[in-house]
Amino acid sequence: MTRQKRSHHKLKRAVAPYLYLTPSLLIIGLLMLLPMVTVIAYSFQNSAVLRRDPSFAGLKHYQAIFDDPVFWASLWHTLYFTCMSVIFHMTIGMVFALMLNNDRINPTLRNILRVLYILPWLFTAVIIAVIWRLLLEPNGVVNSILMQIGIIGSKVEWFSSPETALHAVTFANIWAGYPLFMVSLLAGLQGIPKDFYEAADIDGAKAYQKLIFITIPQLMPIIISISLLDFIWTMQVFPLIWITTGGGPIYSTEVLSTYTYKLAFSSYNLSQASASAVVILLISLGLTLFYIRYQKAR
Amino acid sequence: MAEVILENICKTYGNNFRAIDQLNLSVEDGEFLILVGPSGCGKSTALRMIAGLEDITSGSLRIGGTDVVDMPPKDRDIAMVFQSYALYPHMTVFENIAFSMRLAGKPKAERKKRVDEIAKTLQLTSLLDSKPANLSGGQRQRVAMGRAMVREPAAFLMDEPLSNLDAKLRVQMRAEITSLQKQLGVTTIYVTHDQTEAMTMGDRVAVLKGGVLQQVDTPKRLYESPVNAFVAGFIGSPSMSLFEATLTGDELMAGAFTIRLQDAAFVRRPGLRSYAGRKVVFGIRPEHLYDSSLESGRKYQTIPAKVTSIEELGSEHIVHLNIDAVRVDSGDPDAVQDFGLASNAVAKFEPVSTVRSGSEIRLALDDAKLHFFDPETHLAI
Repeated sequence: MTRQKRSHHKLKRAVAPYLYLTPSLLIIGLLMLLPMVTVIAYSFQNSAVLRRDPSFAGLKHYQAIFDDPVFWASLWHTLYFTCMSVIFHMTIGMVFALMLNNDRINPTLRNILRVLYILPWLFTAVIIAVIWRLLLEPNGVVNSILMQIGIIGSKVEWFSSPETALHAVTFANIWAGYPLFMVSLLAGLQGIPKDFYEAADIDGAKAYQKLIFITIPQLMPIIISISLLDFIWTMQVFPLIWITTGGGPIYSTEVLSTYTYKLAFSSYNLSQASASAVVILLISLGLTLFYIRYQKAR
Repeated sequence: MAEVILENICKTYGNNFRAIDQLNLSVEDGEFLILVGPSGCGKSTALRMIAGLEDITSGSLRIGGTDVVDMPPKDRDIAMVFQSYALYPHMTVFENIAFSMRLAGKPKAERKKRVDEIAKTLQLTSLLDSKPANLSGGQRQRVAMGRAMVREPAAFLMDEPLSNLDAKLRVQMRAEITSLQKQLGVTTIYVTHDQTEAMTMGDRVAVLKGGVLQQVDTPKRLYESPVNAFVAGFIGSPSMSLFEATLTGDELMAGAFTIRLQDAAFVRRPGLRSYAGRKVVFGIRPEHLYDSSLESGRKYQTIPAKVTSIEELGSEHIVHLNIDAVRVDSGDPDAVQDFGLASNAVAKFEPVSTVRSGSEIRLALDDAKLHFFDPETHLAI
């Protein structure tokens, strides 16, 4: 009897955690895994979604997008957009965080700056897109200021010229995204013991030496984590580009997300769109695995 | 090497709080001076001012004859060991020790030679490639010492460097630091709140309270001739017990008992006569109270006392007692008051003592070892 009771108790203990996990596993399975698997399946079918009994297409759709020069252009644009965004998010975030953490700046001024610097974070992508479309209009504020200072001679069509459009959307995305870095790095800066800097003062370190030898190494875990996350997120940015340029002009701001969207909802080629989506998934997955391994290694 | 001279040093914070008031202190070349006092007494502030990490509100500070008040920390020719050690976690032991040389742009070979020398002295050679996180508390402490030594400074400043170590290691490191200081002969100012460290390590000890210097003297003189009730209570562990009494002729009347004073007491303190008929504060250290039933206590006069609790330490018994007399507070904010046990005196008995908690005993006291203080000013008589 006691042995039976004990084994019953053991079973209960073994099963209980899985029972607790079941609801969340079900939700994840339904909302994430199922759509993912479905999209992967679509990418191997002819006329996916559109026909009731689609036939197996093999790697045909992958072949098609890899043969499409627009795909390669959008891949390059995505990389440029993402790398520039991450680098500048980090640099601007770091400079602002250092400013906000500087005791020598008046505390009231620092509080005002803190609010100002974080403002871009409060806006949704749609609002940011609208703001920058208005600011960068040929007759907008930016052109008029730049012309007055004498940096440009004539009005520049920032979003409508193939030469400037990609830089302009990247710029808007940099403006929108640096606060995440700023806030994370500021938290990191506040966690660095004051003793480190005092010991360095006594040892004769100059400001730039303290930055190189103490601050940056101490912030490295945050810099790497946030950079990887930012890379993953920025690669998937859609609304900002869709609303400002729609991928144009002449594909000059086409990124993987807009390319895929157009395949699906302009050309109704859902199979090829699925193949393109799977490519994005694979790139993101690679980065995510890298991130997880880095987190584990810590 | 150099002497450190503080003249009328004051430190006032923005809210008008005066952390240090008119501090005058002269630390001789090669001397080991301990700054001691209860929490918030300004000892760390004083050290940080010498280091240049805090501004000096007024006064003059000279290190090796140079006025350093307006100099940045790096130009003061000092090295500091922090309470937290402040070792850079991303650097190896070698890089930590060599950091100041690297900043100064010294060539690699010279850095290696110097660090190797220091590592040998501190027995860190096998740990040079380790990161601080992989070191024990004592090893980290030694790395912090190494980082200070590498600069060959005129003076070492140490801010409670042993407070993060466990009791046993602290005893060991106490001896190591003392012998290292003797070996190097560098002027050292050492801040601590632990009066055992103060008594065992320094050539001289400066006692601070509320930002005011109370007494600077050798540990022995500080212990035997405290200038006031605060120093008397602060120096020594367990603390000296202080009571109020009335001096009548050559008798001290306190509560329900009297203590006869011998002529020697008045000869040594001529001022004591003038307190005849008035209140005085008297103090007695735990080791000058005896169990009257033992041989050691037989020759002294006795007073009644009740044992409230006993700590048996093996080598001695710390006996907490209640004496029918009004206890006087020495003014040490860190002093532990055991209200729950209602004891007002502490004695150190030999381990053969058989007194039990709760029993009424006759307590023998060596009246020649009594200390006397003015009841108003708390200054020694």
